[in-house]
Parts: sequence; C-alpha cells; structure tokens
Amino acid sequence: MSTPIKIDIWSDIACPWCYIGKRHFEAGVAALGDDAPEIEVEYHSFELAPDTPVDFEGSEIDFLAKHKGMPAERVQQMLQQVTGVAANAGLDYDFDALQHTKTLKAHELLHFAKSEGRQLELAERLFKAYFTEGRHVGRVDELVALAADAGLDADAAREALESGRFADAVQADIAQAGAYGINGVPFFVIDGKYGVSGAQPAEVFGQVLTQVAGERDGAVA
Amino acid sequence: MTAAEGSTAVTTTDASAGAPAAEASASPFTMVTGAPGAMVCEGDVCFVPGAETAQ
Repeated sequence: MSTPIKIDIWSDIACPWCYIGKRHFEAGVAALGDDAPEIEVEYHSFELAPDTPVDFEGSEIDFLAKHKGMPAERVQQMLQQVTGVAANAGLDYDFDALQHTKTLKAHELLHFAKSEGRQLELAERLFKAYFTEGRHVGRVDELVALAADAGLDADAAREALESGRFADAVQADIAQAGAYGINGVPFFVIDGKYGVSGAQPAEVFGQVLTQVAGERDGAVA
Repeated sequence: MTAAEGSTAVTTTDASAGAPAAEASASPFTMVTGAPGAMVCEGDVCFVPGAETAQ
C-alpha cells in the first residue's frame, strides 16, 4: 500500500483567498472521483498581518481604508469582487459582519488541533466563522467555542491557548515559509515537490495530483 | 470572470534551475504555473495582487 500524497498548505484564517483556495482544492480532488489518490493534508501557519490588534474597532473597510490609506470606494470594489469569487466557490462571505483581528491565537489552536487529529475540522470551522459568520477568531473564549464545534475538548483547547505552548510551533511554520521563499498565501506544497501558489482553479489541483500519482506509479513500475 | 478563473494550463517551472519569478527563485519546489492570475494574499492587503493598493 502506498503512502498518501502529502499536501502542506500555508495559509492564514484572515486570508479570503485561502478559504477560496481550500474550496478549489477540495473541488479538484472531488472531481477526480474514484481516480483521486489518497492524500494527507496539513495546514501550516502564516500570519499576514502581525501588527493587527486583537480588538480592532471597525469594519474591514475601515481597517483597509483608515489603516492602510486605501480609498474606501476601492476597498468596497475589491471586497465585492472577492465576495463574488467566493460565491462561485460556494462560500457566502459577509464582509459587513467580519471582525478584523489578529490570528496568532487561531494558529496556535490549529496546532493544538493537529496534535489531536482534528486540524482539518478546525480549519474549516475557523474560516467559516471568520468569513461567513462574523465571529471573532482572536479571542480565547470565542476560539474555545469554535474548537468545541470542531470536536475538540473545550478545556484542553483553553489550556493550550492560555499556556501558549503552541506558540513556538506557529513561529516555526512562519520561519519555514520564509526559508521556502513563500511570500504569499495560500501556498500548497504537493508531495514535498511541487509548489502551487494562490487560489488556483480546481482543475489545476486535480491535474497536479494526477501528475504526482502518475509519477509515483511510474517509479513503482 | 476573474483572473483566478482564467487559463488553467498546468506547466511547471523548476525553481532550482533558473526561475522566471522572484518568488520562485528562493523556492525549493518545482512551481506549478497554473492560472497566472490566481489570487494570493501578501502582507495585510490581499485582495487584488499587483494592484496599486497592495502594500
């Protein structure tokens, strides 16, 4: 029996294209049907905006317009475009409800979830909470509730967050991204060999997986 | 239609053997070109890569 194809994904919960890319990747795998190779997915931390406060008072438009000096009309236009692409991927983004925050603790929770074998469930829960439900993913209490939603023990999740014992793992992921030359996310590493940057269309992911599976078969033959 | 939904041809670039892009030059991976306009978030502005508003 062959080992699963490893998919390492660098992403940030606050990255709209990471959630869209996640859906595209999943669609790419699903489109292969019975021909889909066995895969193992692992999420890695990438903090897009380390200087973001945990409690930012204002909307996403406020953040980009006031803190980044972008024209409000331009921000509105961009958010509408992202919302449209997300909708095409089956995601109901709500930027009016979105609560902009620092995602460091969310990344720590993702590492805790990995140690418990529920990282994929939590990644989906956090993305959904942030982009479609307007939940605050920077506060410990909210993260604990989301962890429980993902099937994790709430008390253990709280301990993991309050102790900060996964902080080093988060920084290690970020450092690894830097060593790999990863400047933007989402970034997918397929089988430790191929790099896929961005929210690529589903068929791109399907084609890469098919290629990798074929290479493996060729190596075995 | 967005750039992310454009061409989907899959080609690869061996980053270790003369990469065409700055991002790929430091990558140990063979980069899959895919759709060139696929969106990426960089820094804390991550909606339209390459736009004048990106910082």
